[in-house]
Amino acid sequence: MCTRHVSRNLAAYIDGGLPPVNARQTEFHLEQCGSCRGECDQVRRGMAMVEHLSVIEAPEAIWFSIEAALQDNQQREIRMAGWWRWALAATVVLALAGGALWRLAQPAGARWEVVRLDGSPSVAAKPIGGKGQVGAGEWIETDARSRAVVKVGEIGSVEVAPNTFVGVVAARPGEHRLALVRGEIRAKITAPPRLFFVNTASGTAVDLGCEYTLHTSEDGFGTLQVTKGWVAFEWKGLESLVPAGASCQTRPKLGPGIPYFDDAPESVRRALEAFSLGNNRSEALSTILSESRVRDTLTLWHLLSRVEGGDRGRVFDRIAALTPVPAGVSREQVLELDPETLKRWKEELAWTW
Amino acid sequence: MLRLAMVVSVVAATVLAEGFTFTIGNPVASQDFRAKGAAFVFRTEGCADPAKSQISATAEGLLKGERKSLTLQVMAMPKPGIYAVFLGWPAEGDWIVNLKGTCAEAKAGALVPIGPKGFIREASKFFHRPATDAEIETSLKALRQRGKK
Repeated sequence: MCTRHVSRNLAAYIDGGLPPVNARQTEFHLEQCGSCRGECDQVRRGMAMVEHLSVIEAPEAIWFSIEAALQDNQQREIRMAGWWRWALAATVVLALAGGALWRLAQPAGARWEVVRLDGSPSVAAKPIGGKGQVGAGEWIETDARSRAVVKVGEIGSVEVAPNTFVGVVAARPGEHRLALVRGEIRAKITAPPRLFFVNTASGTAVDLGCEYTLHTSEDGFGTLQVTKGWVAFEWKGLESLVPAGASCQTRPKLGPGIPYFDDAPESVRRALEAFSLGNNRSEALSTILSESRVRDTLTLWHLLSRVEGGDRGRVFDRIAALTPVPAGVSREQVLELDPETLKRWKEELAWTW
Repeated sequence: MLRLAMVVSVVAATVLAEGFTFTIGNPVASQDFRAKGAAFVFRTEGCADPAKSQISATAEGLLKGERKSLTLQVMAMPKPGIYAVFLGWPAEGDWIVNLKGTCAEAKAGALVPIGPKGFIREASKFFHRPATDAEIETSLKALRQRGKK
């Protein structure tokens, strides 16, 4: 029975903000009610889109008018009747909203060419013929039979795979930023590092001079696979550096996983998965350490900053057993996670990757 | 005394020459985005002044039964002593890259076989001198054998 619909609770439910009992009730209702499930999908997509919007400063003129209005408000406060206050507040709100709309309506950078490869991809909800254009604030959507390629300014291209929903957040010379809500993109970038970014629900892929495939679901589960160069996957201070030939899993609210080479032993990959999910971490770590090859020091180096105390020492010892510790890198500095030492060691280890 | 000084300088030169060699790696090891399309990168080891080292590379291959030798462009990275080798040989055939280097009086060489998935680290050979013709032919033969497996 689909009584007592849960529309009002959906945003809090998706955001994990409902008390457990209410969350279970909502979940149960969603299992029964197709209408609410559809609504839930819409809300989830809307929230994902909002998360990808860039922060835009209001124009200076708006702040002058607000300050002027506030000063004016203070001078007249005594004389003003109660309803006047509300009118002023409404004016300020309208001015702000108008300013924001005005700013959003301004072209935030260049427009990029979109070329249809298959089917009928759409830009801003309108199907494109052979070619179209996309700018900041607009979205590209492909269905199961559609593909498209986007020319990212002068720095490269992005192929949009079927069943993908991706938007342009910024299209400026110093910042080329996409938001991948769901689906898959393949990026080929020929620019200096940190000019091309892709936001996802579980972090941001930062180009360090690379070619890669990024897949994500709307809830943030995904995979980053790098074929050339480096990609940094960043989320709330956590960073995974993924070089060519390696991949990294992404998870909602956990950010980027620990990268591994695609040819890593199956046992290492399975143990890494268990470790990342928190399943019997100690045993998983032991397997990773004992089964790692020289090349898997990529994984071990990332583990250093994601384990505690004694385990960090175990990881250090395993790397040191696989390949000589270079001059300028000491056990003490590594155990303290000294950034310069870790960077120096990573750069040396990279010669074995 | 003079004899002792000569002995010391000869020993020092020998030690230095023994120390000069190459290390190869994936393009990411160069830490430079310009190398991302390279077949591989390499760096000099044991050279007091890497900026003054002389480096060259050739692609040695067998193409449709014919022996080929092609001069390759070696790109020096901004960090001294690090170089990138870009694909400069046909996709067909069997190819190895022959690296040669000089640092003052010291010399180094390396033979780096190229497989379908890129350079083959474990089959690469390193010398404290340029590789000989016989060593090049042996490496090419080994690469062909490897390809047939």
